[in-house]
Amino acid sequence: MTRPIAYLSPRADAQAPFAGLVPDGLNLSTIPERALPDQPPDRFGALLVPMHIDQRRFAAAGPWISKFFQAGGTLVFNGLLAYPFHPALARFQPLARPRVDQFRVRIMADHPVWRGVDSDDLTFRRGVAGFYGRGCNPPPPGARIVGTIDHGRCRIDWQWHPPEGGRLLMHAGNDLWMYARDKNSAGALTPQLLRWCAAEETVS
Amino acid sequence: MTAPIIVLDGGTSYHAFSLSDPMLGPWFDQRLYVDDVSAETLGHAGTVVVPCRLNPDWLVAHSDLLVEVLRQGRTLIAMGETEPQSWLPDIRFTSVPTNFWWWLEPEGDLGLHIAAPDHGLFDFLTLAEATWHYHGTFETPDGATSLVNAADGGSILLDDRTSWPGRLILTSLDPFYHHGSFFMPAASRFLVGFTQWIQSGMPIHRHRPDG
Repeated sequence: MTRPIAYLSPRADAQAPFAGLVPDGLNLSTIPERALPDQPPDRFGALLVPMHIDQRRFAAAGPWISKFFQAGGTLVFNGLLAYPFHPALARFQPLARPRVDQFRVRIMADHPVWRGVDSDDLTFRRGVAGFYGRGCNPPPPGARIVGTIDHGRCRIDWQWHPPEGGRLLMHAGNDLWMYARDKNSAGALTPQLLRWCAAEETVS
Repeated sequence: MTAPIIVLDGGTSYHAFSLSDPMLGPWFDQRLYVDDVSAETLGHAGTVVVPCRLNPDWLVAHSDLLVEVLRQGRTLIAMGETEPQSWLPDIRFTSVPTNFWWWLEPEGDLGLHIAAPDHGLFDFLTLAEATWHYHGTFETPDGATSLVNAADGGSILLDDRTSWPGRLILTSLDPFYHHGSFFMPAASRFLVGFTQWIQSGMPIHRHRPDG
């Protein structure tokens, strides 16, 4: 049986912003960020981390995160990494003085989360570029690069299998589910992300 | 020696990147992580800065400490998206949908204007630096001074020296978030000017009216 997906909420009483869009058959729980270390690390199959969390608190839960990976958990991390929560990770590196063309998203590899999504629909929101991301959380060796900006040079999205187990999907920008209600192809990203999280054993 | 300026740190990426920026961090005397805030650690502060998007749950739970800053005649600066209406008394806030694309429209105008051109803050920044987008407006309390108004007359930045023994600076702008997310040059310029104004003792009157 598939374990539930957890959304780590900065607010004690808030639901996930995509709570109403969870595909049938998937089970979503919301965990307030302060309550994370109280959860059994094997309770959830996936943990979705938004950009507005207290990253210092999250990094302090490093031992819990390690046990979560050991239990085969999938961690989806959104945001600019200021406090690395795993020894293989490093702080966010912004593009230096970027021009608008450098914000253009390019998907480099087929991945179930981004499948069928037009990268222009990720680049532009009402004609404004830059929301998707403006730099990278440097990928560890062996990470599979999926999404880039800066003409393929800046590795903004990647998937990595930590040595202790599990999966880490990194997105060094605004929350991937900001597109959840978009009427274009980017709207598919959130349900595809949730289905990918639920497919725990899939190595892709 | 003036009483220290303490800036709270919510542990977010944008607080971290803004406060570790050599253009900004050194202007604050102390950076205090939320878990380290107490009556004792705030007790010696002359000015307490609540940076934008500090978790409102934490602020509600610690409102007594922050209200005490104002009651004791000290200065509290509360910035955007911290929901001060939920942790400070008598604050009236109206949320507005964020328009981040106004500048792409023909003759686009966010509709902000300076309400107190002689205020000392404007020795340190101009309207252009306060203009990217905003998330809501405050009703200016009686006796307080709005520095920047939105088109509807609500304030996005005000200086209240009458409601409390202390001084309350309130803004709905969120420049720490944008600067620390490397996303909005105007917000970065605002934050540098605003911080230098704080560090200069938050003068009420301009000394460089043509500056």
